Amino acid sequence: MKLHVWLALVLLLLVAVVLGVLGGPVPLAATEVWSALRGVGDATQLAIVQNLRLPRVALGVAVGAGLAASGTALQATLRNPLAEPYLLGVSGGAAAGAVAAVTLGLSSALLLPLFAFAGAVVAVVIVLLVARAVSGHADPRVLLMAGVVVGAFCTAVIMVALATAPENTVRGALWWMMGSLGDAQWRSLRWVALYVAIGIALLVWWSRDVDVLALGEDAAASLGLPVERVTRRIYLTASLLAAATVAGAGLIGFVGLIVPAIARALGARNTRQAVVAAALAGAALVVLADLAARTLLRPAELPLGAVTAIIGVPFFLWRLRSAR
Amino acid sequence: MFQHRSSALRGFRQAVYTGFSTVAVTVAAVCLLSVAACGEAPRLNAGDAVVDDFGDTLRLAAAPSRVVSLNPVTTELLFALGAGDRLVGRTSWDLYPEAARAVADVGNGMGPNVEVVLGQRPDLVLLYASESNRLAIQQLRAAGVQTLTHRTDRIADLQRVIPVIAAALGVDSVGRLVADSVHASVESVRALPRPAEPARAYWHIWDAPIMTIGGGSYLSELLEVAGAANVFGDLEQPSPQVSLEEIARRDPDVLLAGPLAAERIRRTPGWRAVRAVREGRIVVIDTTIVGRPGVRMGEAARFLRLHIVDSIGRPR
Repeated sequence: MKLHVWLALVLLLLVAVVLGVLGGPVPLAATEVWSALRGVGDATQLAIVQNLRLPRVALGVAVGAGLAASGTALQATLRNPLAEPYLLGVSGGAAAGAVAAVTLGLSSALLLPLFAFAGAVVAVVIVLLVARAVSGHADPRVLLMAGVVVGAFCTAVIMVALATAPENTVRGALWWMMGSLGDAQWRSLRWVALYVAIGIALLVWWSRDVDVLALGEDAAASLGLPVERVTRRIYLTASLLAAATVAGAGLIGFVGLIVPAIARALGARNTRQAVVAAALAGAALVVLADLAARTLLRPAELPLGAVTAIIGVPFFLWRLRSAR
Repeated sequence: MFQHRSSALRGFRQAVYTGFSTVAVTVAAVCLLSVAACGEAPRLNAGDAVVDDFGDTLRLAAAPSRVVSLNPVTTELLFALGAGDRLVGRTSWDLYPEAARAVADVGNGMGPNVEVVLGQRPDLVLLYASESNRLAIQQLRAAGVQTLTHRTDRIADLQRVIPVIAAALGVDSVGRLVADSVHASVESVRALPRPAEPARAYWHIWDAPIMTIGGGSYLSELLEVAGAANVFGDLEQPSPQVSLEEIARRDPDVLLAGPLAAERIRRTPGWRAVRAVREGRIVVIDTTIVGRPGVRMGEAARFLRLHIVDSIGRPR
């Protein structure tokens, strides 16, 4: 990738972050925001900027980067441009975990992400076990199929839980499943950010193996790559990375699907470049989508997952058409 | 008084009830305009036809002896009318009065399981007038069970509903007594001296998404009765969704929330954007009393008057 493309991506993210902090349902002048950032201003303005907008934007950066990097790694490893956390049962598992927490009456800000994460981990482990039982090794096609089926099973579990739960519970769970950065808090943000940083670092570290995998399984094996172990390792890392973002902000679709396509279109020549470029673009996309989500229908907030889908689906269809 | 663990949820449920009510708002508005018509209950006799809020007709015959109530408001009303012993089924939310808890729970009341309701062998079923109940009403009527369906969303609605249900149960005179006393208890709060500028209140209904009460809601009316004002009274929907930032901007004098929600608001750093939260002005409400436009709404109005207007006032 050329230097000016990298600069443009970094600049895009910076602009998104600045806009995200400047904009919101309450109009604040840039000077007021700047003072609030330095701790000057009335208490409400300080709290709006420091406790509401900054953690939201920061969570948006972490979630966007995590989802996009995860999608990029999954698509490269499974050699399928449609692979993304949604399709692979990770999001379904997380959603089932979250709905379980809500129906058990444990929907506190602390427990919901833990249940979501646990649900995602269970789903990923089941997918890996199924794939191993079916094919004896981590065959990408079997992983994809197992992911779709486990995802469908999770959807069924969610429907059963929601059908028997009172509608107030349903509403909370459905809202969560539509994705939102509204619950962003510095305390919970810290571990999401840590998780995303470690996850992306690992994917970058192992991206060389993914490039070798891309040559085909036999070729990779003949080059001395332990194909099965590498596939499983990256699949697991990317899935856990996605699970952490889902736990932090609910289900935000299409970021993991379209941003990797953007990264490739920008000319990423290998997996390492693609992962980093996708992380930058994904962070900018989620921050901007969230800005739209919280300002378009003021004083109400739109579900972030709906905004990313509304942007994502036409874009994806257009990409499909131009790829033909 | 505030010990009910899930009262925040029930409060939300009431908001959902309220949410179904765009048509009822018009009905209530007409009723409010013609106070005389609402204040004086129509007299009904055996053999008369009663028309409910879905336009279904019930011909009064022998007073029903087995009643299922699928609306907390009508359950409380039944006991107030002295007909609590005829109740053979209630919703999971109907926990007042104490005697109601002993009655069989037949589900959550919206889109009910008809077979479970029929299992109680009722001769009358009272329902909330929401679209999700329409199919159940058809099935109950097909099974030969009488139904009465009402929207109970506004203060005035109760004055319309009480005489109909009292007549159906054959206790007209008690009905007039109950309707008058509810009316009088609400009006006694409304008649108290008004503050020059009403205290501005934010009423918290739900966390995710954050939902409050709009101008078209019973709770907003109740705030006015108490001499306070709803900061989101300009929004037309009964239970609109709002953003935390917008609440901070509207800067209410006081927040109202159920016990669990109040605790979450105190704990969550983002809520410190709201001045009333920083300064600790959160009133914990029992949503089973304050959240329902039922026979206890005079009590609810007095509670609000005491905790918002008399203790907090307008601290500026």
